[in-house]
Amino acid sequence: MSTDTKKLWGNVLTEIELNVSKATFSTWFKETYILKEGEGIIYVSVPNTFVKEWLHNKYHSMILRSLRNLTESVRSVEYTVSREELKERKDIFEEHKMVVDKLPLNDLYINKEDNLNPRYTFESFVVGPFNELAHAATQAIIKKTGMVYNPLFIYGNTGHGKTHLIQAVGNYLKSTGSGKRIYYVSSEKFVLDLVSSIQSNKTNYFKQKYRKYDVLIMDDIHFLSNKEKTQEELFHLFNYLYDNNKQIIFSSDKHPNYIPHLEDRLKSRFAAGMIVDIPAPDQESRFAILQTKARMNNFSLREEIIDFLASAISSNIRELEGVLNSVIFQTQLKGRELTLFEIKSLVKDSMKPKRNLSTKEVVKVVANFYNIEEDNIYKKTRKKEIIKPRQVIMYILREDFNFSYPSIGEKIGGRDHATIIHSCEKVKNELKTDILLGQEINQIRALIVS
Amino acid sequence: MKIECTKDNLKEVVLKSNRISGKRLSLQILNNIFLKTEDNSLLVKSTNLELGIEITIPVKTYSEGEVVVSGEVLRTLLENLKEETVIIEHKKDSLEVSTKKTKTLIKTYPDTDFPTIPVVSSKNDTILSSKNLLGGLQSVWYSATTLNMKPELSSVYINTDNGYMYFVATDSFRLAEKKIEVKKDICVNEVLIPIKNIPEIMKILEEMEREITLSVDKNQISFSDTHTYLTSRLIEGNFPDYRQIIPKESLTQLIVLKNDLANSFNLSQFFSDKFHQVHIDVFKKEKKFKISTKNIDIGENVQYVDATISGEDISLNFNYKYMQECLQSINGDSVSLELSGVGKPVVMRGCSDKTFFYLVMPMSK
Repeated sequence: MSTDTKKLWGNVLTEIELNVSKATFSTWFKETYILKEGEGIIYVSVPNTFVKEWLHNKYHSMILRSLRNLTESVRSVEYTVSREELKERKDIFEEHKMVVDKLPLNDLYINKEDNLNPRYTFESFVVGPFNELAHAATQAIIKKTGMVYNPLFIYGNTGHGKTHLIQAVGNYLKSTGSGKRIYYVSSEKFVLDLVSSIQSNKTNYFKQKYRKYDVLIMDDIHFLSNKEKTQEELFHLFNYLYDNNKQIIFSSDKHPNYIPHLEDRLKSRFAAGMIVDIPAPDQESRFAILQTKARMNNFSLREEIIDFLASAISSNIRELEGVLNSVIFQTQLKGRELTLFEIKSLVKDSMKPKRNLSTKEVVKVVANFYNIEEDNIYKKTRKKEIIKPRQVIMYILREDFNFSYPSIGEKIGGRDHATIIHSCEKVKNELKTDILLGQEINQIRALIVS
Repeated sequence: MKIECTKDNLKEVVLKSNRISGKRLSLQILNNIFLKTEDNSLLVKSTNLELGIEITIPVKTYSEGEVVVSGEVLRTLLENLKEETVIIEHKKDSLEVSTKKTKTLIKTYPDTDFPTIPVVSSKNDTILSSKNLLGGLQSVWYSATTLNMKPELSSVYINTDNGYMYFVATDSFRLAEKKIEVKKDICVNEVLIPIKNIPEIMKILEEMEREITLSVDKNQISFSDTHTYLTSRLIEGNFPDYRQIIPKESLTQLIVLKNDLANSFNLSQFFSDKFHQVHIDVFKKEKKFKISTKNIDIGENVQYVDATISGEDISLNFNYKYMQECLQSINGDSVSLELSGVGKPVVMRGCSDKTFFYLVMPMSK
């Protein structure tokens, strides 16, 4: 409640207090406040339905009159029953808790109406150079929901913050009390919903359910690949929402064009709004994320440790959080600050797994990726389409597997170590300018690890 | 307003509505009950702003009208009258209650100040057996917490799923669930009734007709039959997802006669400490388990109870009160206990009764 409405309601209450008995006032008016106001309607929060009925039947004209005296723009007053405030009574509970374990009842954290997890907000979202474009797009959507960037399509690898960002949009719109119906759904849930609606012969209900929302947020859309019926249903749903200027937000781990078995008509529709990529966070962003997360946990970390963690875990924010949590936990357990060495041993398992792959396997993966014969890599051919994969192999062997130059040379068709150095340097240099190459190498790395 | 009716009829409705009426001193009007004639019947209503009730009884009406009087005074008066019929007449600012031999004046209050009872506007009303509903509430309500810590735990949770209506209550140390069979099309979704309203609701339900109508909207629930309309505030919130904590398997299973267990706990109460702790040791070979209690100020007690035991020997501590309380809700002669060790809840249920189960957390000390 803003200070303006607080003051306004305070004035109204003072006036009413003069006109009714003290008991009446404390029974009917004490726990009321202005929830929000909009277009001349004041929404008053009341503790229960009894109060709602009574204020409406008995004191409505009095309230309205006082409000009009203070601000002329008020046209009407609505009463809403609000959730009661919790009274903290920890003391009694604490004593009890000492001896009896509690049933591990977890609060239902997720709101059933909109499926949003309140944990994901913009306040806890760290904006860095890597995700500022995506963040800016969501900010634009918040200001003009449904009018700009519709649909918004956010893609990026796992753990880059897609879900956080799109849920934050929902939570923000919810908190502004715009009255928009928001719904967050994972593709898997969408598919399940559709399947069960078909089974129980209630497809109409399914259609109606999803068509009533003003903002539909759909996560992990890439799981829809190969699901033709669901895609068709999504297509119709999309058209309906889009034509009615309802905001749609998608997330996926790939650009829509690279999602296999996705119908072209969907692809082109996804591309109609805005497609943004959230790449891996850079070192500075990882640093900032760690700092923010540590602060949120009321935990302070030395700069050199943050620096180390940020460089040790390079791609995934989720992993970053996991490691931070274990650092916090260990610190609490030991009751003192951890040394850098201890942290190193803690992080050991979280660092990129360096599986002992044979050169052959790497060659196989890369050759498959570029769709060439494996043998050609080892041969002395200088065809362009062979040279590039060969250089990529050398680069990966050097960077990821720490092979020595001579041993790489020996394994890739008996080449000189100078050749290898040259190749690695070349790839390194090209990476600085060629974004496509970077993406390719990342995909290859993913293939190798899996 | 002037009416004539039998004393017993009037006494009964005044008694019921007076129970609901507020005992809060701040707003005088709420301590009263509201009487109103409605073509040859009398409507009596009262509320404490948590619950509201409206009851009608047939009366002979001489003149229409409405009046607000103290329910307590009217009740006391009616209980002490010997005659069969009474005549009630509203005169200026008092209510005259007269019989053949007596005449009483009771002070009235302005009827315009009496609050209205909210009407639940629900699209689909549910017809239910009042006995089933009552049974459901009685089986679980004692497990809810009366502390105002978490409103969703100080309430009874009602939900329907696939032809069953579930009643659940928990204070996070124990949990009770009862299900009753209902028609498949009955749908009551995730309703939380505040625990402090439950005793009154149960009392009223006991006296209601066999079939009642249940209506639910976002903030209110109502129970009604042809004469009575009872409405209660609902709690807004989400009940915890309790199904996930029901243990799937256990280390030790005991089957014991309900009476044996109840008798043992009766004795335990004298020797347990201030935390009501009992220690249970299971001896599989001897086919019995030991319940021991110890209180440094009073003494110690050990009891052996025969049981059918499968699984491992185990030792655990419990608050006997939690276990004792659920026995009333268990139908049948024998009770099964499924123990899973420290930190894991024990499942208690009747051996022949699939509709009720109860979880208790062991004590860690």
